[in-house]
Amino acid sequence: MSGGIARGRLTEERKAWRKNHPHGFVAKPESGPDGSVNLMVWQCIIPGKAATDWEGGYYPLTLHFSEDYPSKPPKCKFPQGFFHPNVYPSGTVCLSILNEDSGWRPAITVKQILVGIQDLLDQPNPADPAQTEGYQLFIQDPTEYRRRVRLQAKQYPPVL
Amino acid sequence: MEIDKMENRKDVGREGGEEELSDSFVCCVCLDLIYKPIVLSCGHISCFWCVHKSMDALRESHCPICRHPYYHFPTICQMLHFLLLKMYPVAYKRRELQTLEEEKKSGFYSPQLKADACGTQAKFLYPGSSSSCSIITADSNSCPTSSFSNGKESSAHPEQSGPASHKNDEDTIYSEHTSGATTVSVGTLSPPVEGKSFPQSEQHGQQKISVADLMCAACKQLLFNPVGLNCGHVYCEACILTSTDEMLRCQVCHSPHPRGYPKVCLELDHFLEEKFPEEYARQRDTVQLRQIKVKPESASSCLLVTGSEGENQVGWWSDPQSKVHIGVGCDFCGMFPIIGDRYRCKDCKEKIGFDLCGDCHSSRSKLPGRFNQQHTSEHQFELVETNIIRNIMMRLVTGQLEDGSTVPLENLELISEENPLFDDGEDDQHGAGATDQNL
Repeated sequence: MSGGIARGRLTEERKAWRKNHPHGFVAKPESGPDGSVNLMVWQCIIPGKAATDWEGGYYPLTLHFSEDYPSKPPKCKFPQGFFHPNVYPSGTVCLSILNEDSGWRPAITVKQILVGIQDLLDQPNPADPAQTEGYQLFIQDPTEYRRRVRLQAKQYPPVL
Repeated sequence: MEIDKMENRKDVGREGGEEELSDSFVCCVCLDLIYKPIVLSCGHISCFWCVHKSMDALRESHCPICRHPYYHFPTICQMLHFLLLKMYPVAYKRRELQTLEEEKKSGFYSPQLKADACGTQAKFLYPGSSSSCSIITADSNSCPTSSFSNGKESSAHPEQSGPASHKNDEDTIYSEHTSGATTVSVGTLSPPVEGKSFPQSEQHGQQKISVADLMCAACKQLLFNPVGLNCGHVYCEACILTSTDEMLRCQVCHSPHPRGYPKVCLELDHFLEEKFPEEYARQRDTVQLRQIKVKPESASSCLLVTGSEGENQVGWWSDPQSKVHIGVGCDFCGMFPIIGDRYRCKDCKEKIGFDLCGDCHSSRSKLPGRFNQQHTSEHQFELVETNIIRNIMMRLVTGQLEDGSTVPLENLELISEENPLFDDGEDDQHGAGATDQNL
């Protein structure tokens, strides 16, 4: 039963996104080699904000929706080993609005999630570290931290 | 592939003359037209199933929009239901069919309000609760007779001293109306009328909405700063605040409204202002006048009382000793999950079952169930015990126990992966249906 709502909502999310979405962002359901669409997994791209060290990077993010969506938030994953204080080594993003017990509300849309994560890129939350490397550099060696961020931006050039 | 089909079908539906929806009536959970609207005490509206599915089976739930905590699953707001049906006949019909299909799959049904309104009415009458009957007639009555309400509007003075007697008059008018043209006209006549007017409604996006579609259950005038109660009835905020009862009670059906005063439903309020600017302005003026007179009546102390009561309840919920019936709700007051004693109907055959909390069981309330159960007052109840060990385990896992220790964020991922743990349980124990949302 709960499946019905997740797919219906994602269909509407897809429609809303097609109608209007922030510039430079990509979000679309995964499609298989046979052309079938899997609404439960979305491949997205988040552009680094202009005038920040993240600029020029187009970071791939995968959203995994469960059958309990939107009661539960989707799991948002960057590629494994993504450099950011609030991203787990597995790539999972740690953000209050994506946490079912603190900030998540079913009313939060895919657009809001992606924009929220874009904000997080340049504004890490040191109170909630998720990886040692990113966190320690951010706290102890800001110069090296910024170098790593700019390096990573080059690793993710615009697609197409 | 299945999804593609679904998407296409919906698109076709929209193209095929479906009305443009106002943002006010788009559900924030399913992002579609709200179906069987429920107004939460924070004033936000969502669909029956969207609210039910986003409720927490273990503890307090949070509004999908503002995270305002609440414990009671409110009854469908009939006024809004009939309003949406009138405004968006095509889209609402599509939502009805869509929901029914899902309900068939799951075996859990939401209350039927429209098609067999007469049936439900008869059922309401049966246990002898004339009060709930008058709600339905009042709501659906509104469609054919707008002149009726206009007359009332001009004759009703805001400073009427005896609201109770006034109300009774109205009730009798309504029930006369019902018994004359009746049940038939109320339940079955209105949909065909809407059917005929499809062409117009396509042009303007909606049928003519009259003040009578949006009346306060107390003052019987256009709603101003509307608030929805747990029982689904809608009042002007001012009409509710003046009640001197310690526990807020609905004046129509007398069900108590738990946990303090509801907040104004802003979406509906904006809609009212836009739709009926003149009447709305007039109402605002009368209400402001009235408030000046009434104010000394210490509305604030009232709020304080209910506030502290609320805090007590919070204590309750985190008390590890309390008996939590995971995933089971009370069919009268809507408490979900039931805390304390739980009584289960032995005679209701529906998959969802029929349960009452201790208070509702002892008050012998006569309201119908929340999932279209065929419950009658002859049915017998049995007391159901909670599974204490299971309860404690669940609460440990979710970090809900009293020390307030929440699970460290690092472990959250782990927990969500272990979720299948929650899938078994209540369901097979009691065959209780309410657990379709296994946390």
